[in-house]
Amino acid sequence: MSTVAPHRPLDAAVITARDREDVVVGNEIVRHNRASRLIHWTVAGTFIISLLTGMPIWTPVFGWMAHLFGGLSVARVIHPWAGVAFVIASLFMFFQWLADMHLEPDERDWLGPRLFQYMRYETDDSRVGKYNGGQKLYFWAVSLGTVGLLLSGLLMWFPSAFPRLVIEFAFVIHGVTFILFVVSLVFHVYLGTAAEPGTFRSMIRGTVTRAWARLHHPRWYREVTGEEPRRD
Amino acid sequence: MSVQQNLEIRRSSASVLGSLSGMRSVPTVSKYIDTTTCIGCKACEAACIEWNDLRRVATEQTGTYQTLPTLHAEFWNLIRFNERDFDGGIVWLMRKDQCMHCDEPGCLAACPAPGAIVQYANGIVDVNPDQCIGCKYCETGCPFDVPRFHQTTGKMAKCTLCVDRVSVGLEPACIKACPTGCLQFGTKDDMVAMGVRRVEQLKGNGFANATLYNPEGVHGTGVVTVLAHGDHPEWYNLPADPHVPWGVKLWKKILRPLGAVAIFGAVLGAFAHYTKYGPKEVRGADDPNSNLPEA
Repeated sequence: MSTVAPHRPLDAAVITARDREDVVVGNEIVRHNRASRLIHWTVAGTFIISLLTGMPIWTPVFGWMAHLFGGLSVARVIHPWAGVAFVIASLFMFFQWLADMHLEPDERDWLGPRLFQYMRYETDDSRVGKYNGGQKLYFWAVSLGTVGLLLSGLLMWFPSAFPRLVIEFAFVIHGVTFILFVVSLVFHVYLGTAAEPGTFRSMIRGTVTRAWARLHHPRWYREVTGEEPRRD
Repeated sequence: MSVQQNLEIRRSSASVLGSLSGMRSVPTVSKYIDTTTCIGCKACEAACIEWNDLRRVATEQTGTYQTLPTLHAEFWNLIRFNERDFDGGIVWLMRKDQCMHCDEPGCLAACPAPGAIVQYANGIVDVNPDQCIGCKYCETGCPFDVPRFHQTTGKMAKCTLCVDRVSVGLEPACIKACPTGCLQFGTKDDMVAMGVRRVEQLKGNGFANATLYNPEGVHGTGVVTVLAHGDHPEWYNLPADPHVPWGVKLWKKILRPLGAVAIFGAVLGAFAHYTKYGPKEVRGADDPNSNLPEA
């Protein structure tokens, strides 16, 4: 007699991905548990707010962004606090992922030619673990940049407390760091969506397919599944 | 000034152009300050407070006759008192400190809010509180340490050169109040000519280093100051070579266009990459280029 549609249970992968990582569920592997995803999107959200409130102050070319917040004077009030929230969220993210981000000696070349080989899909990825060298370098660059943004931002927030020369340095450091952040963010988003299909779901659903893991992170695949990934 | 005056605007912060119609020729105006005939009576301080309806700020003892250690959001005109050793004795120096109304204003260059700092056609540099977002960038931009953040309004405040009086043909309040004539007001050309004459007079009277302070680094100021000891502007708390700070110039002139190019370039680069290399697909088992192991 009941007209209620039968309850469709959540699939096992989603439930597993709530609190576990690096485990196989059927044809999927959990890459980011819920805590990791929550922290990532908190960092992303606070960064985007900082960006949209900061860029109209940087140059009037981006003045239209201020209208999303009710004008430049509102953006100016939100910007430093959004920045503080971004730094706090980044601190959590730093310790969440630190253990996985130690750059191994044979990954040093990611700083140079290997990064370009990777972008041309020419690298031999068989040694790549959960994160490749480029991702690790991005992690460290962003961490360093966040410190730079925080320190220079605080100086710009309270200029009267410091000599003018120091504030001038802060202007330049804040600007250069911001430019590097945006450029690397564009590639971060591009690689995580359009360039590498199957990646984005790891930050939404938390899981990737076995085939994705085999292609992009073969050593991680081996560690998690105990199977040998195919050498292509 | 709370209301933008009925004056054409030569330059406006964070804007490409001002609002010059090109139909009128407006002479640049200037204050003239002769520190050698200033008697430190502070009538100009009182006149400034009265005309601009500034709230009274409690005075602070600095060890001299000076009213406050420095300028204040409610105190735009300060006589600075200095004593220096000179020629076996001391000299007692007084200088009226206020916004210098630079021809190339560092505050305006640093300001990110469109129209928050304007330079009128007559050279007066003014804060427009309507547009001011209280970011204090002008504090860093000013080589004379003049703009002050007002805690109550959340906006920047400074001398307006009494633009509301000047725009209706009156002289600034400080000038009107001066009892010795050490303060004068007129066109920049007239004030400079008066200053040059006075400097010649001082040189004839034994002040060999007398100068008219009108620094080239900011393309001259809308306040020209006669200094008997022109070789020591720091004796009067004046910078020897003021200019728009290098950090502000580097940001506005180089980093800003560079940043825009880099950001749009990154987006274009990502698009170019996608069109050349396409997505790095995970291929299925039936694909000859499969990433999957053979069954």
